[in-house]
Amino acid sequence: MQDFETLLRGSSETHGHLCPGQAVGVRMAMLGCRLIGLDEPASRDQIKKLLVYVEMDRCTSDAVAYTTGVKLGRRSLKFMDYGIMAASFVNLETGKAFRVISTEESRDLAQSYAPEIADKSARQLEAYKRMPDSVLFRVQQVEITVPEEDLPGPTRFKASCSRCGQVVRDRREVIKDGRLFCKACADDVYYYDAREVTWPDMNWAPKETHHAEENQIKGCRGHRTGP
Amino acid sequence: MLKKIRLKDAVGTALAHDITEIRPGEFKGPAFHKGHTVCNEDLCHLQKLGKNNLYLIDLEEDEIHENQAAAILANALAGEGIAWKDEPHEGKINLLAATDGLFKVDTTALAAFNMVDEVMCATLHNHTLVKKGEKVAATRAIPLVMKRVAIERAAAIARQNGAVLAVKTLRQAKVGLVITGNEVFHGLIEDRFAPVLSEKVTTLGSKVDGIVFAPDDEELISQAIANHLDRGCDLIMLSGGMSVDPDDVTRKGIRMAGATEMNYGSAVLPGAMFLAAYIGEIPLLGIPACGLYHRITVLDLILPRILAGEHIGKADLAFLGHGGLCKDCPECTYPHCPFGKTA
Repeated sequence: MQDFETLLRGSSETHGHLCPGQAVGVRMAMLGCRLIGLDEPASRDQIKKLLVYVEMDRCTSDAVAYTTGVKLGRRSLKFMDYGIMAASFVNLETGKAFRVISTEESRDLAQSYAPEIADKSARQLEAYKRMPDSVLFRVQQVEITVPEEDLPGPTRFKASCSRCGQVVRDRREVIKDGRLFCKACADDVYYYDAREVTWPDMNWAPKETHHAEENQIKGCRGHRTGP
Repeated sequence: MLKKIRLKDAVGTALAHDITEIRPGEFKGPAFHKGHTVCNEDLCHLQKLGKNNLYLIDLEEDEIHENQAAAILANALAGEGIAWKDEPHEGKINLLAATDGLFKVDTTALAAFNMVDEVMCATLHNHTLVKKGEKVAATRAIPLVMKRVAIERAAAIARQNGAVLAVKTLRQAKVGLVITGNEVFHGLIEDRFAPVLSEKVTTLGSKVDGIVFAPDDEELISQAIANHLDRGCDLIMLSGGMSVDPDDVTRKGIRMAGATEMNYGSAVLPGAMFLAAYIGEIPLLGIPACGLYHRITVLDLILPRILAGEHIGKADLAFLGHGGLCKDCPECTYPHCPFGKTA
């Protein structure tokens, strides 16, 4: 694993700014990986052994993801919407898992660790570099059962909604009264009052195809851009 | 795990902890000790102490009694020059100075330690001069029974820089004094600085090896410093010539003598124009004229720290600001006053 300062620089560039949460996140990931015995989590032979559950969508989560190399789209990063500054690190090979929790008291202690810095954010950033892990974090060894449908790798499960026909992957379907629905049809979604619309430049695509010209003449396009 | 039992059912069981009795103005201490087997004769006394129920302890594998916890905490807190005995008194362990010297507290680690739930440590102020056997701190776990891991984390926090508490013995310095000023050098007035500084030095167990008088001339001041160094002095103290007047050239003399580090100005009154400089590892302290008028100045805060082996830098002088204002009381009670108590 790269040294802390190098990781922090890369993490803040990826995230968009350098902030105290970046320092906490990089250190949280370094500690988590150390505890589960992965010294180069982003390397080709270790990345498939690692799962990380982040419990907040804050700066710290980006730093954890950057440092470990886990990604939402690779299913190695799981977002648990708890609003808690914590992340769990799972070694899929050994089954060992540790939950690393950022302590609330570390915020109050920033003044003690970097008293010469007046600006609050700069003081926290510096203090979070100086604090030992024992002050910055609490750690729990935890047991995590990862359901088969949550594992990285090819899609193992697909089903179709009995109402709208939508294909639902990874067992995210809902069974109601013995029928299988997608979450939208089961009224278990974040949006409401959905109405299908058209939009300007509907036929844009990043790459022209040989068929494009013919299709444009016919007034339609024949290719799809997604799976 | 703690199990509550009614007092009348407690006869024959062992007390889980010391039971404290307080008689205002007369006595505070354990009326009954941990492990004492409760008998019928005790019931009335216990009731008078407000006890109608007692705890029975059945420790789980991951739990720890307050007395064991206090010993783990004391062991982690105690550094060089600190003594303690594994004899908790009402769950508390006192930490004592194992030697005369300067008591030092890692105040940041202490704050982090005390932010852990269920533990505490209270200390004297950082940089207090203490005598062997003097109580400097006390620690305890707060609940009667707690998780072992919380205590071990608190102990790790206490050890983040070695230990939170230490007593450093003062070295016996060979001090060279340089008394500057034309008025003294030419005999216009009698010097009163040398006796004041000599007393402060000898009170702390060091000795004045030589006193050189110099006029307000940077070259002669520089030579006086060089003479002391040649004779083997390992601490130089210079008086006068520290302000902003054109005749005040002591700082120039110190620089000319080869100072490798100069920290001029402290956030202390009296003592704003104090200087801590170094030639290599040898400290040079420039004491402004306030040292003649005030019984206690910044020098009294810094000299013990120098003798305890601290390197005094800009931040050390700056951080004295909070608490660095002497109240000029008609009757000085230092060190039993807020002066110099920075944290």
